[in-house]
Amino acid sequence: MIDWTTAAPAVSAAFLASIVEVVEAFTIVLAVGTVRGWRPAILGTAAALATLVVLTLALGPLLERAPIHAMQLVIGVLLLVFGMSWLRKAVLRAAGVIALHDEAAAFVAETAALRQDLAPRSAPKDWIAGLAAYKAVLLEGFEVVFIVIAVGAGRGLLGPAALGAGAACALVLMIGAIAHRPLARVPENTLKFGVGVMLAAFGVFWTGEGLGVDWPGHDLALFAFAALFLLTGLVSVRAARALAPEAAS
Amino acid sequence: MSVFRAVVAELTGMFLSDARLTFGAIAVVALAALAAEIPDPGHLAAGAVLLLGCVGVLVVAIMATARRRR
Repeated sequence: MIDWTTAAPAVSAAFLASIVEVVEAFTIVLAVGTVRGWRPAILGTAAALATLVVLTLALGPLLERAPIHAMQLVIGVLLLVFGMSWLRKAVLRAAGVIALHDEAAAFVAETAALRQDLAPRSAPKDWIAGLAAYKAVLLEGFEVVFIVIAVGAGRGLLGPAALGAGAACALVLMIGAIAHRPLARVPENTLKFGVGVMLAAFGVFWTGEGLGVDWPGHDLALFAFAALFLLTGLVSVRAARALAPEAAS
Repeated sequence: MSVFRAVVAELTGMFLSDARLTFGAIAVVALAALAAEIPDPGHLAAGAVLLLGCVGVLVVAIMATARRRR
């Protein structure tokens, strides 16, 4: 029986992180579909998804068998670094120090690059286009697989986390199929900020457990860590904006 | 080969996009591991070092980048 107070943060992190990654992959798949047609786009995407499913099915159960403290420590540290990295970039984008990710601009750039790559060549054009879709979905999917395995393995939450990721994928593809253009209005940076906070909190929690820390309040400590990282992020946005006003303007 | 190179670049980018942040976090974890060896309340000291150390590393990494981009 799944304890949903424990599962909810894991499922939410997997769901929200997957929305961000699927939106980015969708932009490139849409570019391939627009320039070369939907057959190579769909085939490339399907091949990448199959690769990712095999990876998750292979790695997930393997980690379940690893010694619990060692696994908590290694995955905790990886999650900590990954989450703090996302949070750092989200803070810098919110402060205007680095540019926001623009899906519309990415679509234009990708379409132009594809048209250039598909200029007269000996290799079949569909293969090149399909490979572009495969690469995009595979690379964005790696982050999703990592998050699903990191928040799910070792706590029997692999299934719920994978379902969260799958639901996000289905939602984005459904909206994308209806809109038929880059999903530029998704609040990507806000989502990355939130996911960064959650993953950094998970990372601290699991690393601590791996080191033998008995967190006061047990699983409830996760919420306290998330609140601290959220506060740190919000204060850092203001401080970074004040520090780099020329970059922010 | 280009897919393989892109995969390696992606995996490297996931964890090493900011070396200061990555190695700072690893240093904090190492310090927390040392603190955990202290007899009671070692594990609480380790927890405090870990949590506050990570927050510190994050703030330093953010401010360093903001300063660099002035």
